[in-house]
Amino acid sequence: MTTARDLHFTLNGEVRNATTAPGESAIDLLRERCGLTGTKLVCGAGVCGACTVLVDGVPKVSCLLPAAALEGTEVTSVEGVGPEDGLHPVQRAFMAHDALQCGFCTPGFVVEAVAWYDQWRAAYGPRRPERAEIAAALAGHLCRCGAYDGIYRAVADACAGAFDDAASERSPRHDAREKVTGAARYTVDIRYDGQWEGTILRSPHAHARVISIDVTGALALDGVTAVAMVEPGATVRYVGHAVAAVAAADARRLRAALAAIRIVWEQLPAVVGVDQATAAGAPLVYRGLRRDALNGAEGPVIPSPWKGNIRGPSQSFADKPRQARRVIADARARKDPLLVEGTFQTGAQSHTSFEPHAAVARFDADGLTLHLSTQSVGHMARKVAAVAGLPEERVRVVAEYVGGGFGSKLALGDEATAAVLLARTSGRPVRVVLSREEELSVTGYRPATRIELGLLAGDDGTLDALSVHAWADGGVAINSTIAALARLIYPAKAKDLVDYDVVSHLPPASPFRGPGGPALCFALEQGVDEAAHRLASDPIALRQRWDPEPARQRLYRWAAGLETWYSRRASGSGSGRMLRGVGVAAANWLYWYEPGMSVSLAVEKGRLVVSTGTQDMGTGSRTVLARAVAESFGITPAEVVVRIGDSSLPEGPLSGGSRTTPTIVPPTLQACAELKERLGALAPGITWAARIAAAPDIRVTATRVPDSNDGEAVSPLQGTGIMGTAFDYILRFSTGLRTGRGSPGAVIVTEVEVDTWLGHVQVTRTHAGIAVGRIRARELAHSQVAGAVIQGIGHALHEERQLDGSSGLTLTAGLEDYRIPGMAEMPLLDVHFDEEGFDHVGGGGVGMGEVSTLAVAASVANAVYNATGRRVRELPLRPDRLMTLLADVDAR
Amino acid sequence: MSGAHKRGAEWRAGGTDLSERLRSGVSDTFAGELTPAPGMLDIVPWGDGLRVGAMVPIQQLADDPRVKAGYAALAGAAGGLATPQVRAMATVAGNLTQRTRCWYYRHPHTSCLKKGGEVCPARDGNHLLGVLFDQGPCVAPHPSTLGAALLAYEATIETTLGRTLTVEEVFGDGRDGSRDHQLAEGELISALLLAPPGASERATYRRATGRHFAEWPLVELVVRLGVSEGRVTLARVVAGGVANTPLRLRAAEDALQGHSLNAATIARAAQAALESARPLPMTAYKGPLLQGLLRDQLDRLASG
Ligand SMILES: Cc1cc2nc3c(=O)[nH]c(=O)nc-3n(C[C@H](O)[C@H](O)[C@H](O)COP(=O)(O)OP(=O)(O)OC[C@H]3O[C@@H](n4cnc5c(N)ncnc54)[C@H](O)[C@@H]3O)c2cc1C
Ligand code: FES
Ligand code: FES
Repeated sequence: MTTARDLHFTLNGEVRNATTAPGESAIDLLRERCGLTGTKLVCGAGVCGACTVLVDGVPKVSCLLPAAALEGTEVTSVEGVGPEDGLHPVQRAFMAHDALQCGFCTPGFVVEAVAWYDQWRAAYGPRRPERAEIAAALAGHLCRCGAYDGIYRAVADACAGAFDDAASERSPRHDAREKVTGAARYTVDIRYDGQWEGTILRSPHAHARVISIDVTGALALDGVTAVAMVEPGATVRYVGHAVAAVAAADARRLRAALAAIRIVWEQLPAVVGVDQATAAGAPLVYRGLRRDALNGAEGPVIPSPWKGNIRGPSQSFADKPRQARRVIADARARKDPLLVEGTFQTGAQSHTSFEPHAAVARFDADGLTLHLSTQSVGHMARKVAAVAGLPEERVRVVAEYVGGGFGSKLALGDEATAAVLLARTSGRPVRVVLSREEELSVTGYRPATRIELGLLAGDDGTLDALSVHAWADGGVAINSTIAALARLIYPAKAKDLVDYDVVSHLPPASPFRGPGGPALCFALEQGVDEAAHRLASDPIALRQRWDPEPARQRLYRWAAGLETWYSRRASGSGSGRMLRGVGVAAANWLYWYEPGMSVSLAVEKGRLVVSTGTQDMGTGSRTVLARAVAESFGITPAEVVVRIGDSSLPEGPLSGGSRTTPTIVPPTLQACAELKERLGALAPGITWAARIAAAPDIRVTATRVPDSNDGEAVSPLQGTGIMGTAFDYILRFSTGLRTGRGSPGAVIVTEVEVDTWLGHVQVTRTHAGIAVGRIRARELAHSQVAGAVIQGIGHALHEERQLDGSSGLTLTAGLEDYRIPGMAEMPLLDVHFDEEGFDHVGGGGVGMGEVSTLAVAASVANAVYNATGRRVRELPLRPDRLMTLLADVDAR
Repeated sequence: MSGAHKRGAEWRAGGTDLSERLRSGVSDTFAGELTPAPGMLDIVPWGDGLRVGAMVPIQQLADDPRVKAGYAALAGAAGGLATPQVRAMATVAGNLTQRTRCWYYRHPHTSCLKKGGEVCPARDGNHLLGVLFDQGPCVAPHPSTLGAALLAYEATIETTLGRTLTVEEVFGDGRDGSRDHQLAEGELISALLLAPPGASERATYRRATGRHFAEWPLVELVVRLGVSEGRVTLARVVAGGVANTPLRLRAAEDALQGHSLNAATIARAAQAALESARPLPMTAYKGPLLQGLLRDQLDRLASG
């Protein structure tokens, strides 16, 4: 039975014969041998459900299902759930409710929901299921983008019969149909003839020198290629550092090739985590000028002093810091009851994109084509050209669909380098896909932090001094900015803001949705909450006093008017097992855009085609482009052809810093205006649609220019003194990024229920007030906020990288141990958009991906305080921490 | 189904445990696909009790009306574990013989007692999810939810070597850190045997988890209770997630036995539940969770 075996089964109605290898799972057979790539592999462990298929009508996880179990069965994958050429009502419901973002988890959800819908309808007819019933039915599914809110609505409405009619098909998201049918092709789905599979050999040591590295043994094998990714003499500084890569025609050869690589190591003393790194006599991670220290941020590295493994103090954003320190020291000496002080810690959060980092490299006569799961086709093309030693115009980077990124796919990853090098040495297309263990170990994370906060309110309710000292634990990466962000909100008489990085022999942190923001909010917003408590003030009223920003003033008014807010109980006044509470937190962010990026708009064979070299990792850039064009011409978005995800298109922005929308919308609108001008004035009674259909092929290209100087809005950097101006300039010249005027803002009100017996915090409802100007695609904007909220809840309650303190190994190497929130964690969600204040930006609005997540964890913490009367000092608030926090609460 | 296989060779049933280890490279012990022998897929009467075939899917156990009626906590445990897709595939025997979920064991790049290593790296390392009752060299809790329920029902296990084992015998006493069950090399489970339930007994299953779904529990608890004329006549309290084996909390049972189920009894039972607890540095939190689960279920049972 341990030999290959012939299988006969029906796949989406077609009879199939296939040979299965011993021990193989069904997904490998379906994806690699049957060529149906709609079914996705994410966790490989039965936790996420992305790989779900129907076997004789029963949903099963194909990553675990023995391939042999398919014998004689009828298998249905996402490609086969709908009628021929049509859609299943569940697919229409997912599209209409925007129950997806990047789409990588969508096939699994759709397949499961289809089976459940069929059962439900057979049992009850068109009746609406309860939310809890849907959660239980979809208990075996996870979505990193956080599309749960739409999924609840989609499944409920589909069951209730709202999508039975094929005519009910509509889709706010431009590429949703491809995603609900499994047709969308991600990098992991690319397969060329003769393609080899590559894998990366990584350091088992936290700190070591490579004395020698020899891949000739592997190269000597048949059907194998190998490359070294480090030079002899190189130092590796974390477990998982890439050192070599191999590619082969099959898994057996791949294993043999890995085993044939010879490396001689000199192990060096290592420090794992902050405590070891700051102990007396700790070995140094970097020496001398530390030029080799890795930049873990999007922005440039601003010079800062080092002491041992600590970089800092970085305090350029402080404002009269000596005064702040003195005022706080005096208050401490006189035991001023209004002095709020405390230490706050947050855990390291992994991006956990559902599509792992992946690359497929192929050389041909035209040069190199690299399919890459990236947040920046344009920047990557330049970097890859250097790796491949080719001129830039001979390199094309393609990312048609990207299964999530969240900041982790901004830099050139080892998978890209390995794929390119292996394809070159082998002369074959090579695919490198990281395993979930690699993805969760070495592709970056939001650093863990420790923050010491001091905040002093004056008797008259002024903010007299604010002190934030932040230490970031980002492994070998530096340049985190946490305390500095406190300069952007709550003007105070004096601010002492200091950032430190503590480096140790752990994989590098990297930018993650609003870098630094959630940690700052967690400390600062609890500080403000506590100050309100001490002043016997309403926490929203205190923020109204301390935070003059006009958009947030409007949001505070909205929040104060929520019934749940004004009818909440006094903090800690509840009793019994279940405690309920309501909390608020606010956040401020910057608005960035990238001047010089271009969008081209063409008429091709009577259709409008908009194109730019940006990409859509689930954030909706395709939709934003289609809508901007459609609105200008009075046609439907579906009539617009959108081309993105290709570095050979006019250069577009990378997807990071919430810059995509404000960068691409203005030139798109400008291109629309120019095209209309070229097409000439409309004759009476003629529509643009008719005019375009009859037009010859033409093309216009417009470029993002700096914002106008109209309007009142100011940049949050204004008033931050010389450093703010300097920062703006450095950013402009090092990254091309411009800091715009206006403050994207958020006010989040959270309701929680705390089970004091079982150690559980449930966020029951979130009210998110978001101020980012005009909203262009309302359903997608709602989805973005929903995703930001659930990721914030993950940070607050569940997610944390766990390490082995002696080896530096990442222990949360699968989705079972790295807990992202699921359906049942998603609260009821109300989103309120404040749409004023960005009229100086073409299109009137800016990005919201980051600002929506910053204050979520802080508002959960404030809600827990309101429920329990206990301050949350450490995130995530796991059951063990909650039980400790409540140790002295009598809950009988 | 026998034959020349390397030591530790594993037959694959539902695959929900073994497939993951094969993919990650933690195990290379694949022996072949287990094909059901007659009776392995059915639940049939066995005297006044039930005989559950080894390869019965867990969902089928959860849904069986006879199991729901007579063995409510077993049905509850079966229906409350893992995910719908996993329950549809996983077999009841595989649930008892699944390997530990310890993150050191499951990591492709570590060694541990259960992978032939010399030490348990979690003991001096990161054992956040480890045991509360430290029994042996390994500090990983046993993962089997059904094991806890079957122990509460004092089920027996029939094997292909013709042995009939108690649940305690299948799991051992936790002092053998190198394995997750005590079946002999090549010995397979053929059925689970359930003795008739007690008259008018009631039983519950609950778990404490971080995330709601798709989780192994931090602590799980099965309570079986018979009450007659206001007094507890039968008490079985079994905890999972807290020891190397599913663990009977005899002190808690004693605190209940013969008493009326009032607040004072419940408080005493909660106290007694931790009598033999030996927490590790990072696992003391499991104590209050265990007590919370016990109170929750006793309250429920008391209020009818
Ligand atoms: C997301 C997720 C959550 C889960 N949560 C829980 C949980 O909360 N509680 C819980 O208990 N389990 C949980 N599980 C585990 C699941 O219940 C087990 O993996 C499953 O029961 C194993 O059964 P199987 O038939 O799939 O075993 P397989 O994976 O096929 O085999 C597992 C082991 O059992 C052996 N085996 C199989 N059949 C026999 C037999 N008849 N005799 C002897 N040995 C045999 C195999 O050789 C192998 O060593 C979870 C799993 C997942 C994926
Ligand atoms: S990939 Fe199969 S369950 Fe996650
Ligand atoms: S849409 Fe679910 S993972 Fe991206």
